[in-house]
Amino acid sequence: MDQLDELKKEWQNREQELPKLSYNSIYNMLLKKSSSIVKWIFIISILELLFWIGLNLVIPEDNLKLINEMGIGDIMHYSNIVHFIIFGVFIFLFYKNHQSIKVTDSTKMLMQNILKTRKTVRYFVYYNLGMLASGLIITDIYFYSRSQKLYEIMNFASKGIPEKGFATTFIISQIIVGILVVGLLIAFYWMIYGILLKRLNNNYKELKKLDD
Amino acid sequence: MNKELEHSFVKQLEENQNIAHKICRLYTNDQDSHNDLFQEITIQLWRAFPKFRGDSKFSTWMYRVALNTAITLYRKSKRQINTQDFESISFKIKTEDYDDTIEQQLNLMYSAIKKLNDIDKALVFLYLEDKSYREISETLGITEVNARVKMNRAKEKLRKILNP
Repeated sequence: MDQLDELKKEWQNREQELPKLSYNSIYNMLLKKSSSIVKWIFIISILELLFWIGLNLVIPEDNLKLINEMGIGDIMHYSNIVHFIIFGVFIFLFYKNHQSIKVTDSTKMLMQNILKTRKTVRYFVYYNLGMLASGLIITDIYFYSRSQKLYEIMNFASKGIPEKGFATTFIISQIIVGILVVGLLIAFYWMIYGILLKRLNNNYKELKKLDD
Repeated sequence: MNKELEHSFVKQLEENQNIAHKICRLYTNDQDSHNDLFQEITIQLWRAFPKFRGDSKFSTWMYRVALNTAITLYRKSKRQINTQDFESISFKIKTEDYDDTIEQQLNLMYSAIKKLNDIDKALVFLYLEDKSYREISETLGITEVNARVKMNRAKEKLRKILNP
């Protein structure tokens, strides 16, 4: 008999050395809560969806006034409708992908479905960051080209801000804030998902290697 | 109805708990993590149980869910393996006339398997549990041919470790 087969037989004979849990202690485990990676991805994803939807709903009144007076109220209104339809599609996809995660699937399928759910949320975040950045750029260009009007609406004269050079300062400060916000968000995502998904990604890579 | 389901589940898990314990031993390095993983496996099994139709054996179904939990869903970070942990998992000599070399080889093999990556560990574990290539390929989601090829490689690795 091969040495390895002999050990295999031994391995199977050693079951009496394993811990033995009683009926009651197993029963008590049913009442405990899961702390699986899927649960965490689900919670974080829901928070992300809520965060971005919330951010879009909370527009300070001053901003709304500015938008209307600058004459882009209608465009903003329609683009918001499109924006929320796209939100709906993302939420639907997220729900569908999350439903497809089944612990009874093969390991590869399970990993694929988890990563797919994660990907949906990642695209949702990309979409929002993209919209945020392009929205900022477009309005900044628009405002810059109508800086005279902006100066009047914002009532900068009464605040003692000189008209000369104000537009440039306004745009530069907008860009700096924009870069800071995007940078912070990227750092945040890198931290959360880097830690959470590292092992899953590694194992998925190993599994794919087996099938190459 | 719910009580009946609970009872049937707990009873079957109690009978088959060895499968989960063996997986916990391979994938964790201390008693706390072992218990943690066992609990997560129990929760995942219980969640999936209503859809378990009994067209396969409970144990067959359990291998898949338990391995998936250990490889994919379990969240605790892997701690470094140290020698003390190896001592705690060593097999004890049961009888006086027991063959000492097999004992040593078994321990050597155990520590070798623990050093493999999560996927190779699953492959070797299923081999030691005498699963067919078909079952292994279905559990992991790879083709049967690839399961066979990779398993032969893993076995070769183990042989080398046992006969340095």
